[in-house]
Amino acid sequence: MENILEIRNLCKKYNGFELQNVNITLPKGMIMGFIGENGAGKTTTIKAILDIIKNYTGEIKIFGLDNRKDEKKIKEDIGVVLDDMFFPEILTPNDINSVMKDIYKNWDSELYFKYLTDFALPKTKAIKTLSKGMRKKLEIAVAISHHPKLLILDEPTAGLDPIARNEVIDIFQGFIQNEECSIFISSHITSDLEHIADYITFINAGKIILSKTREELLEDYGIVKCSKEEFEKIDKSDFIKYKKCKYEYEILVENRKIFSRKYSINTIDRVTLENLMVLMIKGEKEC
Amino acid sequence: MLGFIKKDLLMIKSNIKILAILLLIYLVMAFQGQMSLSFLLPFLSVMVMMSTFSYDSYNKWDAYVISLPNGRKNSVKAKYLATIIIIILTTIIITILSFAVSYVKTNIIDFGSITVTIFGCLFATILLQSFIYPAMYKFGPEKARIVLMVIVFCVAIAGGIVTTYFDLSPLIKILEFINVYWLIVIPIAMILMLYISYKISERIYFKKEI
Amino acid sequence: MDIIISNSSNQPIFEQIKQAIKKAIVTDELKENEMLPSIRNLAQDLRISVMTVKRAYDELEQEGFIKTIHGKGSLVATKNIELLKEEQMKEIERYIDKIILISKSSNISKKEILETFEYLFGEDE
Repeated sequence: MENILEIRNLCKKYNGFELQNVNITLPKGMIMGFIGENGAGKTTTIKAILDIIKNYTGEIKIFGLDNRKDEKKIKEDIGVVLDDMFFPEILTPNDINSVMKDIYKNWDSELYFKYLTDFALPKTKAIKTLSKGMRKKLEIAVAISHHPKLLILDEPTAGLDPIARNEVIDIFQGFIQNEECSIFISSHITSDLEHIADYITFINAGKIILSKTREELLEDYGIVKCSKEEFEKIDKSDFIKYKKCKYEYEILVENRKIFSRKYSINTIDRVTLENLMVLMIKGEKEC
Repeated sequence: MLGFIKKDLLMIKSNIKILAILLLIYLVMAFQGQMSLSFLLPFLSVMVMMSTFSYDSYNKWDAYVISLPNGRKNSVKAKYLATIIIIILTTIIITILSFAVSYVKTNIIDFGSITVTIFGCLFATILLQSFIYPAMYKFGPEKARIVLMVIVFCVAIAGGIVTTYFDLSPLIKILEFINVYWLIVIPIAMILMLYISYKISERIYFKKEI
Repeated sequence: MDIIISNSSNQPIFEQIKQAIKKAIVTDELKENEMLPSIRNLAQDLRISVMTVKRAYDELEQEGFIKTIHGKGSLVATKNIELLKEEQMKEIERYIDKIILISKSSNISKKEILETFEYLFGEDE
């Protein structure tokens, strides 16, 4: 089993929103960043993976097993941080330990308390007294203390200050030091993912519009900036999207090296996930 | 499974101070007035369990729990088992206190009447909870609270109408018959009610779009 | 070994890693058969993705600088000084190409360029 997560043709209909034929493949040992605007379908996809929502169609395989048929087995090896969903806030980190050790076979109290100490989290204070950053760190500690093989994280860095974000990203990178472990992480804060994610999957309005390795996207893709005259000379098949700005044209190309060999346009920047997102959503492409 | 039950009990434990104060106030009232301690039983156990529903829903535990192994299957079951534990605990506490109060006040323990009231209250508690849990899972704690009030109100009205306008002598005969066997019939009825309620709640939760 | 990653550089990160490792090999900071840090370790230490380091290592291997032993990790290959030199020469040629391009487009003579080169290079010696 090389792929830790495989989603085939996932569809889900809500009033006014639809997840359409979502396909995602996450190989073992890798981090996949799942990006998109708020409301693009990130949380819905994650909820489908975990079988939290109902009435979706398509096939979801985790560790090569069906997410519904082998639910118990799969969930023993998954750790989650979900946006806004957690233990009731009157419980304390200590309480969580005594609950979890009876829920997960592999719950590691020693490891959990080590994380609490590392993150400077109190053991006996109710969750509701913790700051937002501390709470997120607690959620992460809970998610990784049963030695899961797959972490599913929905916006784990939202609301964290830069220092805390850094710490959290360190934890994730530490987690995949084990080649068997993978992370599926959704975020609209793209800078977090830009460096650490191996794969980037981009969802917009319920559809996957891009799923590539980080290397292809951030090193090969390019944003060409040129004048109108230059733009008109460019073969339409040589770019993915373009956007007309006030003083220039911005063009998204798949390979900046190839492009620069063909055309003598000097301004080709590497893309950042942020401007990639903007160009993919706001850019045009006439066919 | 044990973990999920523990979670509810730990939540209740974290509110133990407030509960103790409440109990104390009630105890004082029981000493002074005519108030029977037994009525605390439905009140206390329903309130305690309702608060766990509220916290669950506030922090979306119902969705989070599904990400845990056997979460969907066990969380409803655990809620009912926790309820049973809480009912047993409160019943024991209330029974002991009732005897104590009665002894201090009158120097005799009216074993029979106390047991009967407690038994009645226990029945009411389980009846109430059996009705309200499916509503909790269906509508969430906010709306379920309204449902609870509507039920209580309707029962009161219906009771009023029935007792004023209908001849209840045949029913009383049935009750007298039950009276003989109440030690068997009522516990069975209680278990049955809870079980049916559990099955309904489970169905609702399994079908629910979270 | 120093590996300094610049995010604002136009040079891809994997390229920067390659360069740093090559430099360490050339300057003998990394000896023959010396183990390189594992892909995952290096990724964590540099706070970059595993794929990026993997790409750098893969290309270094293709170019003959390192070899990978399955299950053990990567180590510095038997050094081939000629290969290294050739590599560097190619790099220099690329820059010279650029110099020629700029000088032609702005009418700067070859002589002027050579003078500037002498001047700068000499100062460096």
